[in-house]
Amino acid sequence: MKKALVAALLIIISIPMLIAVAAMPPHGDADSPVHTHVSARYIEHGEEEAGAENLVTGVLLNYRGLDTAGEVIVIFTALMAAFAVLITHPGRGEESGPTTAALDPEPGTEPESDSKAPPPISPVVSFMVRLLTPFTTLFAIYVILNGHVTPGGGFQGGAILGGMFIALTIVLGEDKVRTLLPRRAAPWMQGAAVFAFVAIGVIGAATTGYFLGYPTDASLHLVRELMMVVIEIGIGLGGAAIFATIFLQMEAE
Amino acid sequence: MLEALWNNVDYVASVVLFCIGLYIIIAKNNLIKKFLGLNIMETAVFAFIIALGVVDDGSPPIMGEGASGPFASPIPHALVLTGIVVAVSTTALALSLIIRIYRQCGTIEADELREME
Amino acid sequence: MSLTFDILLLLLLIVTALAVAWTKDLLAAAIIFSSYSLMMCLLWQHRGAPDVAMTEAAVGAGITTVLFLVAIGRTTRREK
Repeated sequence: MKKALVAALLIIISIPMLIAVAAMPPHGDADSPVHTHVSARYIEHGEEEAGAENLVTGVLLNYRGLDTAGEVIVIFTALMAAFAVLITHPGRGEESGPTTAALDPEPGTEPESDSKAPPPISPVVSFMVRLLTPFTTLFAIYVILNGHVTPGGGFQGGAILGGMFIALTIVLGEDKVRTLLPRRAAPWMQGAAVFAFVAIGVIGAATTGYFLGYPTDASLHLVRELMMVVIEIGIGLGGAAIFATIFLQMEAE
Repeated sequence: MLEALWNNVDYVASVVLFCIGLYIIIAKNNLIKKFLGLNIMETAVFAFIIALGVVDDGSPPIMGEGASGPFASPIPHALVLTGIVVAVSTTALALSLIIRIYRQCGTIEADELREME
Repeated sequence: MSLTFDILLLLLLIVTALAVAWTKDLLAAAIIFSSYSLMMCLLWQHRGAPDVAMTEAAVGAGITTVLFLVAIGRTTRREK
């Protein structure tokens, strides 16, 4: 009954959406408003203005640099919030456990107890993960460092690094992998993206007068590229550390 | 009307996926299922924005020697990149909250949580 | 040829999204969502957005799915 009602409601909602979609400019039309105002200028002058052959990186780091800085702060805030939500009190970890059964109205809905040990990892999976780790790392570094020339960039490389870290954690266990993310250096790595943005932003402010301003002089294009690469490395390292830490924090009992 | 919809088949697919995601969020009771639905909704919106930037016979917006022809608009791509990262942040926070709710209450079904107080 | 591929991909996307809605097993739903993300990544690569496709493959199909799997492992697998 409820589901049929919801489905009917959604059909009613989708009709105006479909009418609006039918009235839009045809798909792939080069004269539609999307292609004629800002993006025409970006495509024409973006390479020399933003200093990146990959225009998406140019838009992300130069034209819309402040947006990306805000986005970096968003994932850092998400990490801090996940820490705050999942914090475990080491002294009184017993408190939260037993109350669940008393609150539960039906006996059938009790949480299953995971008393049995986790199944052992298949040797094939373990071998493949360990075999692929160096290649994955190399690929991630390539993606991060070439973000301004080829598809890719800090986030992509950081997500690949973080995924590799997670796979290693599953195969080798947390204790061995922890050496990659030592407790002392972890906060600096998690904040690497924010630090890189602030540092490059302040350098830009000191030299050009604008926060995140890049030198526009043609002779300084190597400096501009270097600033972009520093930000990309910061985003990659910070993203990888943040994804890995959220995984470890959720995985912890 | 039908012909216009056929020309804009990408947009129509986005609308359908958006509605499926919204259906999961409203009709399903499990919190994890609701967030799978939210992720489907998000990807549907991203697909819509990407479809806006497409040009016929266009190539990716990457310059350098050898690049030619009409380029897809880079602005939707940059917007969607930001959106994907924000989406994974919200998902991570929401799943942390769900794990915490399960630890405290022993259930992640929305109606059981509502009765619990 | 290209249009056939597009239509097939869009239909598969809708089918996998419906499968996520129908599946009662949350673990299976998360894996189906991963394949949905991967197909979305193919679609975007086809639409001339390799940057976004790469992000979706690494973040959407990789990190998000792993986080869902961890959450399912820490809570419950069956949907009532």
